[in-house]
Formats: sequence, C-alpha cells, structure tokens
Amino acid sequence: MAISAINLPQHQRAPRKLLITVAEWMEGSAEKREVLGRRTEDSSIEYNADTETTTDVLGINYTDVNKTQPQQDFDPYLILGGSELAAKLNDIRRRNAIEELSQFTIYVITAYVGSASAYEAEKHVNCTIVYNSLGGDVNVNMPISIYYSNDITLGTVDKLSDDFTFTPA
Amino acid sequence: MVDKHQAVIDYLINCPNILNSPLYFNFINAEDDSNQFLTKSNDKYTNTHYIDGSIGKLYTFTIMTFKSVNDIAVVKLPDYPNENMSDLTDIQGLIEWINEQDELRNFPDFGEDCIVETISTTTDEPSFDGIDEETEPNLAVYSITIEIAYIDISKRLWR
Repeated sequence: MAISAINLPQHQRAPRKLLITVAEWMEGSAEKREVLGRRTEDSSIEYNADTETTTDVLGINYTDVNKTQPQQDFDPYLILGGSELAAKLNDIRRRNAIEELSQFTIYVITAYVGSASAYEAEKHVNCTIVYNSLGGDVNVNMPISIYYSNDITLGTVDKLSDDFTFTPA
Repeated sequence: MVDKHQAVIDYLINCPNILNSPLYFNFINAEDDSNQFLTKSNDKYTNTHYIDGSIGKLYTFTIMTFKSVNDIAVVKLPDYPNENMSDLTDIQGLIEWINEQDELRNFPDFGEDCIVETISTTTDEPSFDGIDEETEPNLAVYSITIEIAYIDISKRLWR
C-alpha cells in the first residue's frame, strides 16, 4: 500500500482538530457514534511501547519493540447535555457492568492525510473505554481512558461527521 | 456573523433596570438615572483552545449607572429612606436579574456558531466608582461588569 502524503501546504503545522477520535457502539440494533474531545484541551494517543534493549560489546544498542498498548486519555471528559456516550458510560457505571466497557469500536481519523472525500482512518474494534473518576469542582467531570485493541482495519472515511462511511482499504 | 454587541443590548433591554432608563453605547452625556454600556476587550491569550477546534471565549462588558446624589444623613426612620442607599439597591437589581437569567439559562443569542455557557457578574454588588462633580446635579457613578462565557464552534471540523 502506498504511503499517502500529508495534505497540508509546505511547512504548515497540522491543527490538532485534524486528528479525530470517534467512538462507536451498538444500542439495541442501532449504531451510535460520538466524537471525543469536546471541552478537552489536550489528549494524545500514548503507544506505551514495550521495548527491550541490548548492547553489544562494541557499545551498540539494539532495541526490539515487543508490543504496543495504545491508550488515550480524555481529561476532562465533562458530562454534557446531549452526549449519548456519556449516558452510555454512566449507565454502565451505575450497574457496575464493567464487561460492557470492552464493546467499543474506535475510529482514529487523520484528516491531515487523504482527500476531502477520503480521509485516512483506522478502525479499532473491541476497544475498552474506562471511566477513571467522577466528580470535579464546578462541573461534573468523568475522565475516561480508551484502551485500543490493536485489532485494526485501515481505510478511509468520506466525511467528518457522525454519519460518515468507513471504507476498508 | 451575529453582532454580539447588538445581541447583548437586545438581551439587556429585557431587564427592567435597563428598559426603564436610557442606555448609551460607549459614549454618554450623563444624566440622572442613565446607563452606559462600555465594551471591553479580552486578551486572546485567555481563550481556551479545545482539541476539536472550538474555542472557549469571554465577552465582557460593563454597565455604568449614573444616579443623582444627595448629602442627607441616614436616619433610622422607615418613612425616610436614604436616596443614595435606595439608588444602590435599585442598581443591585441588574445583578439579581443577571443571576436569574443564568439560572434559567436564558442567554443572549450569539448565533449558531456560538454556544453560550454562562452569564455572570464579576462582583456580587455594584462598584461605586466616584462622583461626577461636573454635572448638575452631581452624579454618583456605579459600575457592574458582566461576563458571558461562550464556546466559539465556528472552527470545529466535526459538527
């Protein structure tokens, strides 16, 4: 598969809003989606690479990557009116139905790669979203962490809204 | 794009304190019981940038209220209210009205590209800023600063 170029003018920095995380889950027979990051100032995918480094007698290092365990935190994750994902997580939390936390599909859309009708995206199935705490000061905050499954399908999405279509590559 | 100044004036006009007294925009030839809407600029560095491209901003303005003064001492007789104190209580009504609107989530209409979150005064009581002695009668100057917190979503990609 050819490597796609960054679709930005020369030397332009990619605005953070071009890296988009979307959660998807089933509610009965209905598929629900919600973009993550509303009212969040900073969030990164941490790859948590498990590395092993050996050094030979000449002092040269050799590093192997055994695995990555990607994780992304959203803190704050404010409880906002109209948020279906917050309602879903809150329902799971109340019932302590922790087995239901591992049913999410997460799309990571890199809108700085691809074209306006085919942005590059990764679909991660069977991801886990964990609520880390509940409370806060003025507004109710429920910081969450996404644990990516690494069960990835590469593809593209046709638009940047909840009703996008994901097309596998 | 919605003119936020006009939106705020259209909103404030619903407050009895503003409705029943002349309101001037930035410039005023002050007289008794008149109000001056003073725009303020907020440093862009105080904006909050979110990862979805939206921006948390503040719209800040001050309402200056001018009231004629008297120099009669306060007396402990219920039938003799002190005019200066009555004026201050009257001005306090704007703060209470703003607090009520915030509770009701009744906000100025900043258009579809903005989500207004809160409206609040920066103080619980009007500030007494001094006496304008160049007017006849002399006027006491009070001020209330009001902040409207809103999210500008015009730069969001994901709607």
